[in-house]
Formats: sequence, structure tokens, C-alpha cells
Amino acid sequence: MSVGIIANPASGKDIRRLVAHATVFDNNEKANLIRRILLGLDSLGVRRVWFMPDYFGFYQRVLDSLAGRCRLALEARLLDMKINASQDDSRRAAEMMAAAGVSCIITLGGDGTNRVVAKGAGNIPLLPVSTGTNNVFPVMVEGTVAGLAAGLLATGAVEPEEALQRTKMLVIYINGRPADIALIDAVVLADRFTGSRAVWDASKIRQIAATRGSTACIGIASVVGGLRHIGPAEPCGMHVIVGSPTGDAAVSVRAAIGPGLIKRVPVVAYHLLQPGQRIQVLESPCVIALDGERELRINAGDSAEIELSMEGPWVVDIDRTLAAAAARGVFREHRERPAGNK
Amino acid sequence: MAPNKEEMLDMYRKMLLIREFEETVANLFSQGQIPGFVHLYVGEEAVAVGVCSNLGDKDYIASTHRGHGHGIARGASVEKMMAEIFGKIDGYCKGKGGSMHIAAVELGFLGANGIVGAGLPLAAGAAFANKYLKNGGVAVCFFGDGASNRATFHEALNLASIWKLPVIFVCENNMYGISMSQERHQNINDIADRAVAYGIPGVSVDGNDVMAVYEAAAEAIKRARAGEGPTLIECKTYRFRGHFEGDACVYRSEEEVNEWKKKCPIQRFGTSLLEMNIASREELDAISAEVKEQIKNAVEFARKSPYPDVSELTTDVYCD
Repeated sequence: MSVGIIANPASGKDIRRLVAHATVFDNNEKANLIRRILLGLDSLGVRRVWFMPDYFGFYQRVLDSLAGRCRLALEARLLDMKINASQDDSRRAAEMMAAAGVSCIITLGGDGTNRVVAKGAGNIPLLPVSTGTNNVFPVMVEGTVAGLAAGLLATGAVEPEEALQRTKMLVIYINGRPADIALIDAVVLADRFTGSRAVWDASKIRQIAATRGSTACIGIASVVGGLRHIGPAEPCGMHVIVGSPTGDAAVSVRAAIGPGLIKRVPVVAYHLLQPGQRIQVLESPCVIALDGERELRINAGDSAEIELSMEGPWVVDIDRTLAAAAARGVFREHRERPAGNK
Repeated sequence: MAPNKEEMLDMYRKMLLIREFEETVANLFSQGQIPGFVHLYVGEEAVAVGVCSNLGDKDYIASTHRGHGHGIARGASVEKMMAEIFGKIDGYCKGKGGSMHIAAVELGFLGANGIVGAGLPLAAGAAFANKYLKNGGVAVCFFGDGASNRATFHEALNLASIWKLPVIFVCENNMYGISMSQERHQNINDIADRAVAYGIPGVSVDGNDVMAVYEAAAEAIKRARAGEGPTLIECKTYRFRGHFEGDACVYRSEEEVNEWKKKCPIQRFGTSLLEMNIASREELDAISAEVKEQIKNAVEFARKSPYPDVSELTTDVYCD
């Protein structure tokens, strides 16, 4: 009966605060959010919570503040791992949590954080809480509620089939071998460097592969959404070929590719991607942005492909979980009436 | 606008020039050939070069006690810088500034500075001058994580934000204020978070990735030139050598140093240039050979230059 927490201390700080109008999410606020998650978990009797160690020290800071009036009954433990302040910390932590048998991993970060955690989590479901910038995968949810949903799953009050939803993902192949994944979108850019990682110059976009599309999203998924809505559970994705800003593309999509950053993206062609279908990356050398961050460099002479997979990470559906618990009366308490008082 | 090939090779050359300069100074200092103290910039080259590659003639930079890299990135002559560090008359300050007070106002280089955090109000002042003169220039202040705890940090950011001054505050967060680790001297990890308190953008970038620094600086400078005010850029980096030459570095592990050396900004940029077909191995090797020759000549120049006459002692103290 345990839960893992992976909080990315680096999320919510990148260049999008400068090139767009993204929110700053400072780490003390994330620590606050984790406190509320723990209180939610504790209230349902979760016995153990595993923390990923990190350079900010969420574990100690959170527990220090819960040692007084709000003392926890649950046992919080820190994974015994060396960190190097890179995204690989999150992947390794997810692997260790999966090996420790957690019921789910609560993540604090954006799409990028969840992409990395998904690589290590295997079949362990994620409960993604948004604290990043491009937040299509994680949800904006109050920490207490996130803690309650994870607690319901961990304690068995709600069955996995009631709580979980399988998501899609994209697998990126370089020279025929799987190199990385994306949960929401893989965007081919006419760029040579990963640099400050974010994508804000729409003129560099050449191709988009996406698992979802919605104009309610911030990020490249909003370009896809402008062509056709694709829900998280729909068994398809989309491939978009983007034209040059000065070209003669027949269609252009106005999309919120970043917070406050609404651009016109010229579209040459688009088609639905079927599960297992692979598309060829048409530009080389280039950079591929995964879930909003320039991540993979495709060197001159290398070939790359992107495949839609239906075997993305399992995710805890917070609304469904809480509704199932409520329907079962988990939150109701009946006061015992004294005998004879009918 | 992304830099073109020529600009990228110039960035590579400047990073190598800083590295070669600093390693040569370290060597000469250990032989007792350089007076005073030296604080070297080895490992942090991407920050100075990534930022300064975006600057123009009207722009200013204010530096720190670890200022050689900033000067070279701004385009200072390595001969005159080396002569200054040697304390010779042909140095930028006639040998009277030395390593920690080297300045070249003609290049907009407001000087290295022995006082931690002293560059912040200087840069705010220079930015004010540019704004007052309406010349389109900006000012950049380099400072460290330790300096972000000084009152000057608050004063400069507060004033710059309220007056929308065209200044870019570039924090070189190398994780240590002298020997004190960041986790022991401040209750936050990302200094960029402090921007929120001044109502300005604050971003954290990989300070060992010259293109990441370049992009962030380009956007911040664009914003400053457009009259939108200051930006705080935090560059996460690391100094490969001690705080000063001779520092035993007992406060950090060899393992930590070696981990950071694997993230060497020059090697990373060189590898990218090759892998992305921007430059050939021969081109990079030729730059490396030129740089070595340039530094050799700089040392020769400094050695041959005379010490200032004793009559120089009272000149350049006050402005006429």
C-alpha cells in the first residue's frame, strides 16, 4: 500500500517565461502542493510514500513542515539513489518505485517530466499533477484531491479498472532503433541545436506527429486540434506536414503554441496516424522536440521515424476515481445512534 | 535569429581562447610569474560567450572578480589583458588594475570587480544612461549565486524593474559562493525564481550549453531594446578550478568536479558543430592551433612590456 512521488524541481523555469508568458512555478510552491498530497494520502490510510531525492530537497522540506500540528501517520521514505540533477534522475526513480511495488506514481511537472517518468514506470500508473509549462498530459488539480485519488487506488477502495486509463505514445526510431518516446507530440524542427529546449519559433516546424489534438491545449497539440480534435483515448494520432511561412500552403492553423503565444502555422498536408503506423522524418540534420522540448538531434546522414503506439503509460483518471469511490460510499460516515432512540 | 556558421565558429574560437588564456594564467601563476590573486573562468566559458555574442557597440557589461572570460568574450585583446594581469604598462589599466580590476571602457567593459555584487548597480546605471541617451544600448551584469544574496541585487533589480531599464542580469550559478555551497547559503535552488519578486521574467538555462545561453540572452536583449525592461537569466554552470588559484577545494568532491567536467561546454559545442555538419574537424583543429599561437604571443607581449613607472602611482585616480 505505497505511492511514489516524483517532483521535478526544474519544471516551470525555462525560457518560455521570456519568449512567451508562462507561469513561474517556484519550488516552495511545489513543496506546498506535495504537503497537501501527503495529507490526502494520509487521510485514507496509505502506509508508505516513496520520494525521489532531488537537488531542492522536497522530501526534507515537506516533512519538516509536517512534524508539528499535522503529523503524518504514513511513513515517507527517500529512495536510495544518487542524483545528478538531470532528467535521468526521474527515470531511474520511477524504475525504483516500480520495483518497490508502488500503486501509482504522482508526478509534479509538465509534459516533459511525465515523458521521462513514463520511460521508467513500466505498467505502474501515473497521476500527473501539472507544475510545468506545456501541460497537456498532466492535469491542473488541487494537491489534496490528487492525494485522495492516489490514496483510493493504493488502498484498494477503487479498483484499477475503475481508475485507470491507458494513454498513447509516440516512439522515435533513429536508424531503425527505438531512441526515445513522446506522450503528446514529436515535432521535427529545422534546427541544429537543442539550445534552451523550448519551441517558440513556429517557422522552424517541419512535421508534427501527435497522440492528441485539442484547441484547448497549450503547445503543438493545439495545431493538431485546429485541424481535428483527437481525444486521449481515441485510437489514432495525427501527422502534419508544415509548410514554410512564405510558401503557398493552402491552410494555416492559428494555434496557441505557447502561453500567450498564438501563431499561424501553415499546413501542407495532414492525415490520421493509425496504431503501429510509422512516419519518416523528412529533414536531416534536424532536431526533434518531444512534448515541447527540443530533445533529439538527428545528425546528418541519420534516418528517423516516428510510430504511434497505443501502449503509453497508464494514468489515474482523477474524476472517475473519485466518482467511483463516492458511489461506493467511501466518503460517507454514518453516526451510530444510541440504542432505543428510533 | 540563429547565428550563422561564421558566428558559431567565432563563438567556438572565443570559448577556446578563454580556456587557453585561463589555463596559461594558471600555469604562470603557479610559477610565481603573475602578481596578486587570480580567479579563473575555466568551465564557465559558455555563459560569457553565449551572452556577449549578442551585444553591439553601444552595450555595456559589468563583470566580477572572475572576469577574464567576460573581457575576452566582449572582444578585449588578449595581449592587453595578459599585460594587465602581469601588471605591465601595456595592460588595459596600465598594469594598475590587475586581474580583479581589469576594465576597458572603450569596449563597454565596465570592469572586473573585487566586491561581490558590486557590478549590479553599475550595470543598472549604465542601462539608465543608455535609456536616457536613447541610443538603443543595453547593459549586462554578470554575477554569481553568492552575489544574489547581496543588497545590491535587490536594489539593482528593483530599480531596473520599476524604471524598465534595458539591463540583463546574468547569474552564473556555479553552485558555490567561494567555498559555501548554494544549499547552505540560500533557501531556493533556482535563482531565476527571484525575478517574480520584481515583476520581471526569470529563466534558468543550462549554462554549459552555449546555444542555450545565446538564445536566452538574444530574447532578453531583444526585450530590453524594445523598452520592455530587465530580465534575470540564471545560467547553471560550474567552475572546474578552485575559487582562486591555490584553493584546496576541500568543500567539494573530486567526483563532483569530474561529473561537471563531462559537461565541458567547449567539448559539447565542438561535438555539436561536427555532428550537425556545421564545421569539419580540420576547421576546429585550425581554430585550436590559432588560439594557442595567439595566447603564446599574448604572454610574450606581456613579458616584454615594462612595468609602469613609479610616477604612474598617482595618475588615473580621479577623473579630470
